[in-house]
Amino acid sequence: MRRNLSVVGMASVLMLGAGLWAMGQNNLVANAQQKPATAEVKIDNFSFSPNELTIPTGTTVTWTNRDDIPHTVVSSDDPKAFKSKVLDTDEKFAFTFSKPGTYPYFCSVHPKMVGKVVVQ
Amino acid sequence: MFNEGFLGTAAPFIADLILLLEIGMGMGLLAGTWLARKKRFRLHAWCQSAVVLLNLAVIALVMMPSFHARVLPRIPAKMGKAYYSLATAHGLLGIAAEVVALYILLSAGTQLLPQKARITRYKAWMRRTLVLWWVVLLLGIMTYMRWYAPHFFQT
Repeated sequence: MRRNLSVVGMASVLMLGAGLWAMGQNNLVANAQQKPATAEVKIDNFSFSPNELTIPTGTTVTWTNRDDIPHTVVSSDDPKAFKSKVLDTDEKFAFTFSKPGTYPYFCSVHPKMVGKVVVQ
Repeated sequence: MFNEGFLGTAAPFIADLILLLEIGMGMGLLAGTWLARKKRFRLHAWCQSAVVLLNLAVIALVMMPSFHARVLPRIPAKMGKAYYSLATAHGLLGIAAEVVALYILLSAGTQLLPQKARITRYKAWMRRTLVLWWVVLLLGIMTYMRWYAPHFFQT
């Protein structure tokens, strides 16, 4: 009788442990799913790097001006999907792409600087 | 307005166009001065008036909106940086030169100003304004170079 009780107790502890471990795993998966995706584009030496970026829908792209010259990030589409103010050195601009598509953009101060974001 | 320029720098089309236009206007003022020395005063008046009025339009339609969007939000905080300080000096002195030039135009070429408000020593005013105009032009060229051709400033 006592032996049976011990077996039941051990089984209960194991089941409780397994349940807690599974809950923990679910939380980890949920956290990973909730954490928004991000991507970085560096502006330096009169160019966007990477020049072309492919990202999943919902990704937030942050452009950082590492150049010693002011730049902007402006969508080439009409109407414009996004448009930054003039970014001085080390200033950032972020935009979240919520719809799939191809988004070409350029620097309005230096129109030779162009880039593209492909949202899948 | 945001199309690529044609001078081989990173400038947009409009900046290249305005640069050449302003250099042309500076040369036009020198040509007008030469006309005055040749006593062709009527042509001199037309030449200088056309330049001053064309420059007024350029300031109002292109330069002020650009300055308002790109430079004004950064001053005085970023005045230590050449691309803001050059543009600000060019802007302030440029406004002064344009206002004085308009004043000379109104004094010498119209009856709009009352007699008391008119200048009398035209030559001195015109010469000083011409010098100021060319200082502003050179500052404008330096501003262009700093914003659109920065490699010229790198050692």
